[in-house]
Amino acid sequence: MKPALPEDAVAYGESARGRLERLGGVEFGLRAEADRELRKDAGAALADLGMLELDVRDDLDQFLAAAALCRVAGALCVPWPVVEDLVRTDGQWLALIDPAGPRVDHGDLHGEWVGAALDGAAYRLVIGALPHPAKLGPFLVPATLGEPAEQVSADDVARHLVLGAWRILGGLEAALGQVVEHVKARKQFGQALAQFQVVRFGIADASVALRGLDELARFTAWRLHAAEPAQRSADAVALRLHAVDAARAVLRTCHQMLGAIGFCDEHDVSVIDRHLQPLLREPCSGESLALRLVPAVRSGAFETLFS
Amino acid sequence: MDYDLGADADALRQRLRDLIHAHVPADFLGACTDDPADLELCNAFCRTLAEQGLLCLAWPEEYGGGGGDVWHQTIVREEMWAHHEPRGPQYMGVNWVGPALMRHGTDAQRAKHLPPIAAGEVIWCQGFSEPEAGSDLASLRTRAVADGDGWVVTGQKVWTSYALMAQWCVLATCTDPDAPSDRRITLFLVRMDSPGIEVRPIPSMLGPHHLNEVFIDGLRVSREDVLGEVGAGWTVMRDALAYERVGIARYARCESLMQRLLEVLDDDGRWEALAPALHARWVRALVDLRVARLLAYRAVGDSSGVDPAAAAVARIVTTTCDQNVAEVLVDAAGPDALDAGADALLHGAIDDHWRYAQAATVASGTIEVQRMLVSRSVLGSSR
Repeated sequence: MKPALPEDAVAYGESARGRLERLGGVEFGLRAEADRELRKDAGAALADLGMLELDVRDDLDQFLAAAALCRVAGALCVPWPVVEDLVRTDGQWLALIDPAGPRVDHGDLHGEWVGAALDGAAYRLVIGALPHPAKLGPFLVPATLGEPAEQVSADDVARHLVLGAWRILGGLEAALGQVVEHVKARKQFGQALAQFQVVRFGIADASVALRGLDELARFTAWRLHAAEPAQRSADAVALRLHAVDAARAVLRTCHQMLGAIGFCDEHDVSVIDRHLQPLLREPCSGESLALRLVPAVRSGAFETLFS
Repeated sequence: MDYDLGADADALRQRLRDLIHAHVPADFLGACTDDPADLELCNAFCRTLAEQGLLCLAWPEEYGGGGGDVWHQTIVREEMWAHHEPRGPQYMGVNWVGPALMRHGTDAQRAKHLPPIAAGEVIWCQGFSEPEAGSDLASLRTRAVADGDGWVVTGQKVWTSYALMAQWCVLATCTDPDAPSDRRITLFLVRMDSPGIEVRPIPSMLGPHHLNEVFIDGLRVSREDVLGEVGAGWTVMRDALAYERVGIARYARCESLMQRLLEVLDDDGRWEALAPALHARWVRALVDLRVARLLAYRAVGDSSGVDPAAAAVARIVTTTCDQNVAEVLVDAAGPDALDAGADALLHGAIDDHWRYAQAATVASGTIEVQRMLVSRSVLGSSR
């Protein structure tokens, strides 16, 4: 039992953070909304970091390095489809989609996309015209289903869901970190917000939610390399569901603690929240993810101490 | 990175389940019932565990333990709590009284008290809470006044679980009301049948034996009864509470009950008929339980001891899970969940779980105290 991340993955994450902070951090992600060409600089920085050499289908160490990169990408709102790029096949990026209405984050960045439903049914995607600029998911682009493509493996769907959860985790950690600094510094009624018990309890609950998500993210990454196929798929859905639920609670706390400044784009939390939305809504809602797990509960594929 | 509990983990888990199956009836709901036979069963089962080296599996061999590691003890904790704790109140002696004696006790105290705990022959209770000192334990008022070679203790404890069953008590007293709060308390190891101790049970929704009042009037204690140093009781208590907060694997019973109810509902054809919203709640509860288990592992796996903040995080998640699962079970079972007794659904285990779960966020330090510990680790002190 060793729940600590391997030193190599930690070091890689720190290296990635340094490089992507030099690119401009969250503010760079914000600027890319207005100048979408900037995203190519993010792609170049990720290439510098060796992202293209990471093989998420290989061993646990490589997967954890990829997870660390996704975590940093979430924290810094890196304007690049990092997960979709990491799970690419034959040069085609892989998006998880709702076939009834496909949308692809950063779909306009690349010529060839494969879209897969959660059951692995896959299609070549025809990327549509850029939509009216949106606040939530500013890089989402509509797509239509093209020719059927080769079935995407359940493990690739699982990897996609899990790496997406690591990106969510990174975003939430960054958001809460900002809020912690805010409540320690901001004074009202003659004392720091952090002195008020209602604030302290709110921060405590959000911290507990994040520590839980962190543990589950590590465990699930390990399970992808240690469990049976049906268990791997169930575990990935469970992690993504938990990430979506944690995001709802943690981001609500963040906004409430920050007050009006948290809604402003000059504050990272506004950008983090908006940029995370595609991961929280696509390829389906948290409720749909929960219902997808029901058969796995009944069959025992979602493993408990007594299943 | 590896979450495997060890090569022999599955075998140990199966061995424990086989023992429980052989010695504990299916309708057993714990020692805290009106039937004295349930306590007798627990005491006999503890002796059986002890004979097989399983009761104190993670204790050092020199103290009668099995020399196992923290993960062996974790598996024992999970299997026992999942099966309604057939060790009865003795889990407390194993989980924290024994370790506290090893760490803070004298050689004589260790020689006197550890062998009976390891043999499954003694029940301990903890005399901490008082009418005016619940979450704020450091302000307790039970006074130990120096008298000759020892002290005379007068005061009152409340909410004391298993007080009528216990032979021994770790009694927290104030020995110096003028000292700083972390130097006021001294712990004494006292026999529950000592002159000057009277126990009165408190009827409650939790069932018998969970809550008692303990009145102390003129109890004589000696220097040999002090656990740790005079005035240093708070240090021992803080250690003990950290262990206690991760000492009950509530998530394991929740997973067990959910699996048992799922199988019943599936056999009856009712599982598929549950509303989608209830299915979704069920799934989320199971995912949350996995998180609770992982956080408990994180808290107990730190080789430097139980970090209070990590224990608090685990405690918050596992206790809120406990209460959420109670609601999910009752809603999924329908009106049958309100039935009690051996003929009820799951032999009344759902009713039993719901009632006990109400205390989950109060016992062993309220959830508010846990939030204070977590917020202190994130934000620093509030003062």
